[in-house]
Amino acid sequence: MGRIPMDYLLNRLVTLFLTVWIAATLIWIIPRLSPVDPAEIMLGRMAAGAGTVANADEILATLRARFGLDDPLLVQYVKYIRNVVVFDFGLSTASFPTEVSALIARALPWTLGLMLISITITFFIGNLLGALMVWERSPKLVRVAIPAAMVFTSIPPILSALLLMWVFSAQLRWFPLTGAYGLFVEPGWTWAFAQSVIYHGFLPALSIVVVTFGFWALGMRGLMITVQGEDYTTLAKAKGLRPRYILYKYMIRNAILPQITAFALKIGLLIAGQVLVERIFAYNGMGKLLYDAILDQDFPVIQGVSYVIILMTALSVFIVDLIYPLIDPRIRHGD
Amino acid sequence: MRTTKTLLAVSAAALMAFTPAWGQSVAREDTVIFDLDRTIKDPENFNWFTPGTKRLHGAHQAMWEPLFILNYETGEMEPWLGTAFEPNASHDEWTLSIRDGVKWSDGEVFDADDVVFTVNMALGNEDLSSREAATVRAQVASVEKIDDLTVKFMLKSSNPRFAVENFGVRIFGSMLIMPEHIWNGQDAATFAFYPPIGTGPYKYASGATNRMIWDRDDNYWGAATGFTDLPEPLRLIWLESGGEESRAQLMAANQMDAAQTVTLGTFEAMQFQNPNIIAWKSGMPFAWSDPCARQIEFNTTVAPWDDANMRQAVNHIIDRSQIVNVAYEGTTEASRSIFVQYGGMEKFISAVEDAGYGFSASADVAAGQALIEAAGYAKGADGIYEKDGQDLVANVTVNTASTELTRAVDVILEQLNRAGIAAKPVPVENGVFWGTALPLGEYELAYTWLSCGSINEPWASMGRYTAKDVAPIGERAPGFNNTGRWNTAATAAYSEIVDQMGGMSVGDPAIEGMVVDAYKYYREEVPFLPMVQASKLLPFNTTYWSGWPTQENNYNHPAHWWGHTHQIIHNLTKSN
Amino acid sequence: MADTTELSRAQIRRMKRFDNPWRNPKLIWGAGLILGIVFMGILGRLLWDMELVFTGSAPLKLPPVGFENLRGQAGVAAHPIGTDGAGRDLLSLIIIGAPNSLLVGLLASCIGMSIGIFLGFSAGFLKGRVDDTIRILADVMITIPPLLILVVFQASFGDVSLTMMAVLIACFMWQSPTRLIRAQVLSMRESGYVQMARLSGASTMHIMFREMMPNLVPYLFGSFIANVTTSIVTAVGLEVLGLGPQRIPTLGRTIYEAINSGALIQNLWWWWGIPTILLAVMFVGLLLINLGLDEVSNPRLRKL
Repeated sequence: MGRIPMDYLLNRLVTLFLTVWIAATLIWIIPRLSPVDPAEIMLGRMAAGAGTVANADEILATLRARFGLDDPLLVQYVKYIRNVVVFDFGLSTASFPTEVSALIARALPWTLGLMLISITITFFIGNLLGALMVWERSPKLVRVAIPAAMVFTSIPPILSALLLMWVFSAQLRWFPLTGAYGLFVEPGWTWAFAQSVIYHGFLPALSIVVVTFGFWALGMRGLMITVQGEDYTTLAKAKGLRPRYILYKYMIRNAILPQITAFALKIGLLIAGQVLVERIFAYNGMGKLLYDAILDQDFPVIQGVSYVIILMTALSVFIVDLIYPLIDPRIRHGD
Repeated sequence: MRTTKTLLAVSAAALMAFTPAWGQSVAREDTVIFDLDRTIKDPENFNWFTPGTKRLHGAHQAMWEPLFILNYETGEMEPWLGTAFEPNASHDEWTLSIRDGVKWSDGEVFDADDVVFTVNMALGNEDLSSREAATVRAQVASVEKIDDLTVKFMLKSSNPRFAVENFGVRIFGSMLIMPEHIWNGQDAATFAFYPPIGTGPYKYASGATNRMIWDRDDNYWGAATGFTDLPEPLRLIWLESGGEESRAQLMAANQMDAAQTVTLGTFEAMQFQNPNIIAWKSGMPFAWSDPCARQIEFNTTVAPWDDANMRQAVNHIIDRSQIVNVAYEGTTEASRSIFVQYGGMEKFISAVEDAGYGFSASADVAAGQALIEAAGYAKGADGIYEKDGQDLVANVTVNTASTELTRAVDVILEQLNRAGIAAKPVPVENGVFWGTALPLGEYELAYTWLSCGSINEPWASMGRYTAKDVAPIGERAPGFNNTGRWNTAATAAYSEIVDQMGGMSVGDPAIEGMVVDAYKYYREEVPFLPMVQASKLLPFNTTYWSGWPTQENNYNHPAHWWGHTHQIIHNLTKSN
Repeated sequence: MADTTELSRAQIRRMKRFDNPWRNPKLIWGAGLILGIVFMGILGRLLWDMELVFTGSAPLKLPPVGFENLRGQAGVAAHPIGTDGAGRDLLSLIIIGAPNSLLVGLLASCIGMSIGIFLGFSAGFLKGRVDDTIRILADVMITIPPLLILVVFQASFGDVSLTMMAVLIACFMWQSPTRLIRAQVLSMRESGYVQMARLSGASTMHIMFREMMPNLVPYLFGSFIANVTTSIVTAVGLEVLGLGPQRIPTLGRTIYEAINSGALIQNLWWWWGIPTILLAVMFVGLLLINLGLDEVSNPRLRKL
């Protein structure tokens, strides 16, 4: 295992911090540039929702204090940043008086789950396919996949989601049109629930996989071509090692490293794309939460969801950046 | 590849062949699943006097029974817990007779004490804000028990419609009687009434934010006394379907028996996939006309809509038949007056039309634009009218709860924009729409159905826009009446005639002329504009259950979130 | 005899292709697809009735010619690719909508490119603190997904115009050209010809635009096309969430309306399918242009 160089770590940490800070600031400034004062609208909306809630006046008073809505802008900003650090985005206006953070906490696991599964699958399939495209022993058919992979990669996941949904949900009716689990199963650690989750998550995950595997495959193909010409590959072949062994141990292992850095730049688009896929499938994640909030003009939720997704993106990039030097053998050599 | 496919097919099959896995299992063929169009915010609160989803998740369809049920088809008020409700000659004293043998599901007897207790609770507590409680508070002076089965109501003023307005499930619900032995001593504004009990044939079994389950009570008083038979379904479920697509899929897959209203296209798609799906009418337009015709409400305190001519301009610009054809796909018809187009209302509608006060189904954009220009506006380069550098803007508040409403508003917005009014939607969530936007007057224009009320007489609708109900902006309009704060000299003249009508008995021949007289003032100032009749396309599934209300089997109307659904449930029989 | 002519003809073709790298088949196909959409927009406006984009101007939910909808209605020639659920002619919708989507992409990318060129050159030339600031800012902004910030923007400002949306997207399209140019400028400024130019007393402007710019063009073009794709994806994303211009037809908004009106379950595939295909064509076209450009600028990729 390599060690993470101190200045590199510091550099990445500063970037992470700056990213999150700039995003949070943008989210705060933008609505204040708008001709209509969102703080006022927000309070108005909440007061409106308050008509149906028993101790609404108290809640609103606490809220005013918490966000300092009567303070000067700078104080408001400082309070806002302090609140954001602890994920306090205030109360939803549409489902007053629910905390925005509670809504996000409910939606986030779904989004994270779907993301992890689809990224793992697409990374695995994409890289394997990319490697096979170069390996001289793979069937001809694999090489045909190159143009297909290219074409798919240029299409955003929202379009693949629509197509898959139409074919498999609306036409063939093999999969459900909406939701993350059946209406008739009780959420819990039961087999029925797990089954329902897989069943509902299959198409959303597939829509992402279909349009992202090509990215990996093409990148891997390029890297494999380089690796193929390296001395160690030639040496391994000369030693008479089994071709399959060479493929896995010598070629893929060395080619996969740069793929991980390429991933860092892709994360933002991937997550944004998934948000839209969730909206199409009315999947119970952040995408649906965001879409519903837009429909109901629930501004605190829009703010909160945007911030959390950006934070998620920045954190993923940070983690990938950290993993890279840990597994890069060249840095190990430098030790 | 083949294993994956097999695995997929098997798991898909396993998942499709579900059985509801809640509580002890009841077979699907013994269960009726109703559609709920909203989230149950607090599933452990059954205090229906306060706002929230506390009734239409089965509570007033299966557990709490009404005193009477208005039959929309015959116009008769059918007895249920009550047997008779007789007024005196001046309609200011009403005597209620209660059915003998009614019992609460915990075995206690339901009697006059419960009625008196509940009415007194509503009279004495301003915090009980449900429409029914507010109406009782506004009308009843005092209530008195004559004997165990007789209650006498003394009204503040004469009201020939007292029984049906308050206790007859005229629109959506009725004043529900609560058990005195449970509510007594509780703070009515905060009491959660959990677990709830009622007199009906179903008992509360379990609830969550997206569903409510009710199981049959085999000791139901109605079966014991011979009033009715025990209903056939063993279990009733109200389930939040979460939108039209999932609704359609549940119905097509036989996982739901009665759905909320859908658009024509979706209904056709459902029927295409599942021929067992029916609606009120067996052919086009399939839909049932709900008594609450759609309208545009103006906030008459906000410029420029405080100007009657600007409201008239909007009226000219609106093309009602286009709304019918595009937003409702031809399932409804344009409104000709403020009244619902039921047979019983026809004579009033014709009278109004004959006097020249009708509304046109088509638009006259030029006439509308002339009115706008007369008000000092000129068209800017972007095709939008401007005055003093300000665009002419119309913000239309729309409830996002249903596609029907947002679609209709989309069409209206497009018509206004093309004519030069910068119309924008203000989408609000159901709770905000009813909780504050409307009652507090926090809107400019809104797509509503607040003139709703008249079924066979004109007063119920006309009486909602009188001067006495004008509340200041920011204060609650009583019972959603006159939320537009229409308060001019014309309002006063209008109110005088309408108030006079209110004291006259239904069917008095003089009323027709008075309607025309009062309508004249309304039509001059149009505080709200009738748009189209409301159509409800409610799909029912006959795979497991038959006996749903239809035009042929019209024991009552099909709005299964209303309090009359007791009748539907008693009429259901297993399909073969 | 015949064989030799055949051979030499093929050889000539090959030679020609070598001589003129711009006659790259991928490039030509890609440009053809994109120009096709542009021409559809221009010719359509001349030949087709544009009043049909308005609500209620046509019958509802008619299928394309040769198909039937669930109601059993057949497509009619007056609306050759069908109508949507609000009675708008789909052909007129895409005639206006498809070029609009392309326009947003091009405009946003152009603006982003200009900012990128300016910042990239500044960073590469001025070095020091300016360089640090620009570099860090570009690093930071490249991880923020534009969609989310734009959602916040549009949710607080409401309706925006097409140009405004392009400008907003452009605010997130400058990072990669900036990084690219900065890196190139840094390596080039040490190279012989730039040193020469500098020694001969050429102005910074001259060096930037006369000496360095031409060498950067292929990179810039690739980055530009990639940005057009990202801009369109972002714009479509916003539109599908119901944001973006409310009253101007775009492909994304058409898809949004279709999904919202249950077009999938009602099997109104043309309503969302045709805009989807057009978008796919646009993306494939841009991809081909990009691949073609790669081959043009990097002859090793060209295959014989």
